[in-house]
Formats: sequence, C-alpha cells, structure tokens
Amino acid sequence: MQLGKISFGSTKVLQQNKQQNTINSNKLSTNPFGVSFKGNVIQADVFQSAKSAAENPGIMQRGKLFASAVVSGINSFNDAFKSRMNAVVSFGKKITTDVFDTIERIGNTEITFDMSGIANRLFPDRQYSVKNLSNKSVDELKSLWQGLAEIA
Amino acid sequence: MENNAKIKNIIQALGQHKDSQAAIDLLTELGTNSPDDEIRELTAQALIKKNTHESLRVVLIHQGKGINDLSARVAMTAINELLALKDKNEAIKILDDTIKMHSEEDVKNTARSVRALMTFS
Repeated sequence: MQLGKISFGSTKVLQQNKQQNTINSNKLSTNPFGVSFKGNVIQADVFQSAKSAAENPGIMQRGKLFASAVVSGINSFNDAFKSRMNAVVSFGKKITTDVFDTIERIGNTEITFDMSGIANRLFPDRQYSVKNLSNKSVDELKSLWQGLAEIA
Repeated sequence: MENNAKIKNIIQALGQHKDSQAAIDLLTELGTNSPDDEIRELTAQALIKKNTHESLRVVLIHQGKGINDLSARVAMTAINELLALKDKNEAIKILDDTIKMHSEEDVKNTARSVRALMTFS
C-alpha cells in the first residue's frame, strides 16, 4: 500500500514536469501558421527548430518561396488541366454531334449503285453482250460497229 | 473478246431491235457490204429472220447480197434460213416478183431456184 502511494506521488511529479516542459517548448515553437489542434499547438519537432531558423533565416525564406511557388504551380496546373479538360469535353461533344449528324444524313440519303456501270467496268466485254446491245439505240450501235470495223 | 465477236453480237442485237427499219438500214449499210464473209453471213441471217418486206428484199433481189452473194457459204446460209422460215409468204411473193421483173438474169435464175426449193420444202 505504501509503495503504491509512493509510486502514485512520483507519477504525479513526473506529469507536472512534463507539462512544464511542454509549455517551455511551446514558447520556442516556430510554427509559422500557429495552427493548433484541440488547443495544443503542434510541437516544435514537427517543423524546423527555432534555433536552426534563427541561425539560417534564409532557409525559411526560401522554404516559403518554394511553397508559394508550389502552390502557384498547382494553381496553374489546375488551370491548364481544366482548360485541357474543357477542350477534351468540347471535342467529345463535337464528335457526338458529328456522329448524330452523320447518322441523320445517312438516314436521309438515298444510296444507289449503278450496277450495270460497275459491271461494265469490271468486265469491259460485258457491254458487248447481246442483251446490253439490244438496249442501245441504232445510232449507238452504228458508231460502235464503225469503231470496231476501223480497229479491225 | 475479239472485234469480230463484238460485231456479231451487234448484228444479233440489231436482228431483235425494236427500231426495225433503222436496224435493217444499218444491217444493209454495214453488214451486207462487209468484206468479212462471216459478217455478211450473219447479216443475211438477221435480215431473213426479221421476215419483213424491206429486210427480205435486201437479201433476195440485190446483186452480190444474200442469196446472190459471191460467197457460196453466204448464199447457202441465206437459202437455209429462208427455208427455215415458218411464214414464207412474203419471201415467195418477192421471189415471184423478182423472177418476173428483175433486170439482171443471174438474179432471176437464183430467185427461180430458191423459189423451187421453197415450194418443195
């Protein structure tokens, strides 16, 4: 029982010392933003120590400049990303519109194939078949005959 | 396809053409005057198959054409075609007129021979 009391008392003393140390260390904190969480200021060991900052003020200044540059870089990246996304979105919309227009145009377009013309080109002798020749006028047949007679 | 084969097809097409008179005129102009025996032979056949007064006159009464062709092959083909006609009336009428009235004796003799063949066919 006595031992327990002693140990409890020593623990209390240790806790008081710890709190005192925390207050002292808070006074030395160089947290530039002074952000606190649940009433406790973030400890100095998270950021650069006050000592080193005092020794090298240029480093802090450079760090802030770097952070600022990073932030502005992020902002400009966001702007560029947004503009690119807008371009992509507008391109997609244009493609969609074009596709719909094309589909509509195809729907309204009457597609015809001149099969006899294609066949005549593929098989040039086919135009000299009796069936095809019978559909031609006599004048056409005369010019064809004369042309062939001249070649012969 | 050779040119002669194409011309033969043109002749066949003219033989069954709707514009009969124009087709006969073209066959008479180009076909019966062709230097090629085969073309003249086919032309005579096409004209006889038409079996009209105009087409038959060309092959029956003209010297050097149809049954009067100098080529025996052409003349024989024309005679065979005449004999193969279902309706020979028009051909017989023209042959009779030729026998009676034609100025050329050779044409008259040929017409007489063909007329006799047609009578017995």
